[in-house]
Amino acid sequence: MKKKIALLLALLLGLSACGVRGAEACVVVEYGLSNPWDSLMPYNSPSGSNYSRIIYDKIYDRLAYVHAGGALDPRGAASWEGADGGYAAVFHLDRDAAFHDGTPVTAEHWVETIRRMTDPACPAVGKSVFSVLAGTDGSGAATGAPLGAQALDAYTLKLTFKTPTTPEDFLLDRNREYYVLPTHLFEDVQGAQLLSLDLWDAPVGSGPCTFISETAGSRLVLGANPDYQLGRPGFDELVISVVDKSNLLPSMIAGDLDYYAFGGSVAAEDAPSARSGGLEVLEGETPNTFFELMLNNETLSRPVRQAIDLALDKQALCLQATGGLGEPADSDLLPGGEYAVKNTWSRDLERARALLAEGGYDGRTFRLACTANRSGLAALVQQELAEAGLSIEIETVDSAAMFSGMADGSYDMGIASHTPSALPLWFTESRLAEGNNIFHVPDLTPYAGYIAGIKGEMDPAARRALVAEFQAFLTQERPFIPLWFGRALHVQSPTVEGIDYPSSSFCNENVWEWTLRR
Amino acid sequence: MSRYIRNRLIAAVPVFFGITLLIFLMLQTASGTIVDLRGEGAGAGAAERAALEAYLGLDAPLPVRYLRWLGGVLRGDLGTSYASGKPVRTMIAQRALPSLLLTGTGVLLSVAAALPLGVLAAWKPRSGWDRAASAVALVSFSVPGFFLSLAGIFVFSVTLGWLPAHGMYSGGGFSGLGDLLRHLLLPAGVVCAGGLGGLVKQTRAACLEVLGEDYIRTARAKGLGDRAVMVRHVLRGAGIPVLTTVLSHIPHIIGGSVVVERVFGWPGMGSLLFSAISSRDYPVVMGVAVVIALSVLGTNLLLDLAYALADPRVRCVEAEP
Repeated sequence: MKKKIALLLALLLGLSACGVRGAEACVVVEYGLSNPWDSLMPYNSPSGSNYSRIIYDKIYDRLAYVHAGGALDPRGAASWEGADGGYAAVFHLDRDAAFHDGTPVTAEHWVETIRRMTDPACPAVGKSVFSVLAGTDGSGAATGAPLGAQALDAYTLKLTFKTPTTPEDFLLDRNREYYVLPTHLFEDVQGAQLLSLDLWDAPVGSGPCTFISETAGSRLVLGANPDYQLGRPGFDELVISVVDKSNLLPSMIAGDLDYYAFGGSVAAEDAPSARSGGLEVLEGETPNTFFELMLNNETLSRPVRQAIDLALDKQALCLQATGGLGEPADSDLLPGGEYAVKNTWSRDLERARALLAEGGYDGRTFRLACTANRSGLAALVQQELAEAGLSIEIETVDSAAMFSGMADGSYDMGIASHTPSALPLWFTESRLAEGNNIFHVPDLTPYAGYIAGIKGEMDPAARRALVAEFQAFLTQERPFIPLWFGRALHVQSPTVEGIDYPSSSFCNENVWEWTLRR
Repeated sequence: MSRYIRNRLIAAVPVFFGITLLIFLMLQTASGTIVDLRGEGAGAGAAERAALEAYLGLDAPLPVRYLRWLGGVLRGDLGTSYASGKPVRTMIAQRALPSLLLTGTGVLLSVAAALPLGVLAAWKPRSGWDRAASAVALVSFSVPGFFLSLAGIFVFSVTLGWLPAHGMYSGGGFSGLGDLLRHLLLPAGVVCAGGLGGLVKQTRAACLEVLGEDYIRTARAKGLGDRAVMVRHVLRGAGIPVLTTVLSHIPHIIGGSVVVERVFGWPGMGSLLFSAISSRDYPVVMGVAVVIALSVLGTNLLLDLAYALADPRVRCVEAEP
């Protein structure tokens, strides 16, 4: 019996040592992701989350690569310029780009991708990304008018917009949502059947990685695309696993993960653990998070909203949340960016109390929603508002319940965070829009006027002036309260070189430049 | 006996539908849908929201949605995941085996450790064994699974570097049984620790109860040794309550351990359920709930049968008209 057990153990150890798949010959990068992705069809992601975008970024190709500071590099397009008095952008595609099946990527593929996805018969949930193009309605569906996507020649793509838009603004705003699909593989498929193709279970893209296998929502195995136009990634396999947030850093210290999205971001209080585990931690220079206090403009009058803004100690809140890696904000404009305005925020409890009295605050208790990881922050907000005489109760819920509760008016306030962009309307355009009025602003007309004016203004100086004017209006109305911009701490991969850590916060990863340290 | 089984099966049908209805209604009362999470809170415009709700079938009235789902279940179709767009049946099939492996191993380890410890604790009350059993039960009951998971990772992965901190395999897929066992050991150990306390306590209490019975005293008076008394009489008598506790773990084995699978990134049903709830992927939640409900009903039936087999008195009662 003992001999049999010994034999079995030897067999098991032997199998482990040699490896069934010849793992020693295969260079694998283990990549952690804290939440699962959606469908592998990039225009069919119901959540539209960054966890899905970071996956699409590997399999499919985009027009450009966006750096954290807003600079753009060629990717699917080698160069671009504006056209038609600002109403169009012309993209000169990289002639070496090819799908994983070897078919060259042409402008016709881009045009067909847009034509098939905007087809009203196609149920793609992500078609709204095309609503900026001429010939589409507000939902992104084609109206029958000439579509704003045209192949000028095999490698020149022209996109025509509804409003004047520079190519740079278009790319900063939409690049992470525009992917070219292998339309030659579904030429004869009807629009209604497009999403049920087996192709999306084993997708063929033109990105830096090829699809190998997937356990939906848990594990995705990708291979290096040897023919990627910007270079072959320096690994054979990229294994993306869903790992709980609490286990990302320990797994990296233990050597089970080579890297985790987004940019190996780590909280300030965990940085000492990372360093004591032998990992290098570097501070990002570009803000990659924006925190806001969402407000219900129906239940909170303008003086009360202004009072809340003045009652909050944003410096203390920012310190509590970022451990010193952030700056209090009085606008949603990216600090250091082209449109940044002077920060004039200061706490004024006396003025806050006066505004509460002016707003007729009757001592009622307002409801603030936050997610569990922000309950400490919410408690601090509660304490600071109490100092001004305003009472709130905190409800800890998950994200879906918080956004749903804000949308239906159940909550008066909510704490949310976002990834900022260098664009002046990155936040306000989607938040202060008809049909998505999460702040319950009674009259959106003035906001719509400012937004249309800024979008339509092509002269940089005049545009900056309009942006400043709009920010002054936002300060006066306070439909939401900007809290702070935070920077990330990036845990450096001990095994992979060439990672552009800051840019990964923006759903870009330069995997074609990754190489493994030997 | 066959009539008994048939009656139990018939009784299980309304219970099953009741469970599905209850879970469906509970899910609907939870705030928010997958549409509210769109763009990580950036929100969907009115047109986009309407299109998305229509595409996912969320625009239909509640009874219609339940009946549609139920109709699918009766045809063997558990629906399609909102998030991944894949059939729920396929997703569950992918996750069932890893869950069975993880929680099955954990429960087997629990049983293997708890039975001897519980018996020894009962056999020699207030001995070192008894104190050890109490200590094990205390730790098992009082330390939450997520803490034990993180503590295990810290000690065995981060500090000692003996075991992997996450996943089921190294690299892209199966690369040997040894690799699989290395990945299995830590999460299965946590599952084992979680179930150990109840099982040790149950075994000890059942054995103590039997040890006080007259027939045990008679057996000893006949001159039977301690070991023979324990094996032939005590263990048999204590078998039913212990068996109940062991079999009650079956739904847990099938459903997976949500916390442990989540923390260790184990690709089982528990982690699938966790992600589905967070992303309001109702078809997946309902699909996993169906599997768990069926396993609970099946386990109850199995328990009744096991009672009848283990205890002749149960068979006699069933045989009475």
